[in-house]
Amino acid sequence: MNLNPMEQFAIKPIFGLDKPLLHIGGHPIFFTNQALLMVIVAVASTLFLTFAVKPNRLVPTRGQSMAEMSYEFVANMIHTATGEDGLKFFPVVFTLFIFVLCSNFFGMIPGSFTVTSQIAVTLALACFVIGMVIVTGFVKHGIGFLKLFVPHAPWYLLILLIPIEVISFLTRPISLSVRLFANMLAGHTMLAVFGGFVVALGSAGGILSVLSIAPMLLIVAIMLLELLVAFLQAYVFAILTCIYLNEALHLHDHH
Amino acid sequence: MAEAPATSETTGVPAKHEAAGFPPFKTETFPSQLFWLAITFGFLFTVLWRAAGPKINAAITNRRSTINGAIAEAGKAKADAEAAQAGYEAALAGARARGNALAEQTRQTLNAEIAKAKADADTRAAQAMAAAEARIAGTRESAKAHVKTAARDAAIAIVERLTGDKVSAEDATAALGN
Repeated sequence: MNLNPMEQFAIKPIFGLDKPLLHIGGHPIFFTNQALLMVIVAVASTLFLTFAVKPNRLVPTRGQSMAEMSYEFVANMIHTATGEDGLKFFPVVFTLFIFVLCSNFFGMIPGSFTVTSQIAVTLALACFVIGMVIVTGFVKHGIGFLKLFVPHAPWYLLILLIPIEVISFLTRPISLSVRLFANMLAGHTMLAVFGGFVVALGSAGGILSVLSIAPMLLIVAIMLLELLVAFLQAYVFAILTCIYLNEALHLHDHH
Repeated sequence: MAEAPATSETTGVPAKHEAAGFPPFKTETFPSQLFWLAITFGFLFTVLWRAAGPKINAAITNRRSTINGAIAEAGKAKADAEAAQAGYEAALAGARARGNALAEQTRQTLNAEIAKAKADADTRAAQAMAAAEARIAGTRESAKAHVKTAARDAAIAIVERLTGDKVSAEDATAALGN
């Protein structure tokens, strides 16, 4: 029926809610397929991380074990990347990691929607991260935070290096958001394209129908790869957040 | 207001319009996206910050302290057991030493008694021997005397028979010499 691989990224109001729920600044707000997935992500994460955990359970259940594992994974990541004083950002980084991870994984369910395949979402998250980094930097170091853009080098090199540092800082929200967005978009597009091949070959009849098994097997392989990418991109997003926070907290101390 | 046409444009779902254009770049969807992102992300942040984080942290800390407590307890029990064993071994060594000392003392006492009894017996034996020797010597002397008397008597008798003379005992003794 619908073989357009981009169709899966279309945002549409669902449940027949064709009328906007409300208006903010003149912009209509709909309850869309993406909104449903975001709500599912938030609720599922809450159930998984809050109700599956009992503090006095000595031997954890499978669910609690996974919740604790993800907690310690993020805590260790922050500790390694930013040190002891980065741990006060734990709730933020943990939320970012869990939100992106769950969005990516729920997007892997056929027929669902990948929240992180939308540039608006990833760019908003990246801007939130960079905004947090800038606020942290100025709160911690005042105007001295601007030393972040001044590497240790002779003055004549600084003429060249300071603009480079500024540009590299300013492109961070773009690279952070586009990396996640493009990975999700590319993976799901590829799956849809190969799915289209299966349908096209299968309906061609004769020997071609038998050949449709080849793209089918490829889909299985890409699916496994995409599961890895789903985790990896969530990890990359979180670790880059930690690295940027580390710079805001310690400037060039670690270089 | 101007909302009604905007609404029908985004939701009217004209298939040709949807097919055209790249869905993620359709800016008319951005307000909805950001709105729901803010709500769900904010909700998840609040939950993880206020509920899940402390809860999981408590679970991990609880388990760690329980395990550490159990390990400390086990270590204490082990130390106790080792102390008890050391005490037992000390008691055993003391008892063995006392036993040895007692045995040694008993042996020495017995040895002393044996030596004393032996010495007594030796003394008594020596006395008996001396007495016996004295008796033997006496007997020998008397036997010698008897032999002389018998020899003298025999000499007197011989002389009397041969000569008919009566020889006095003194003469006979003198004649016999020693």
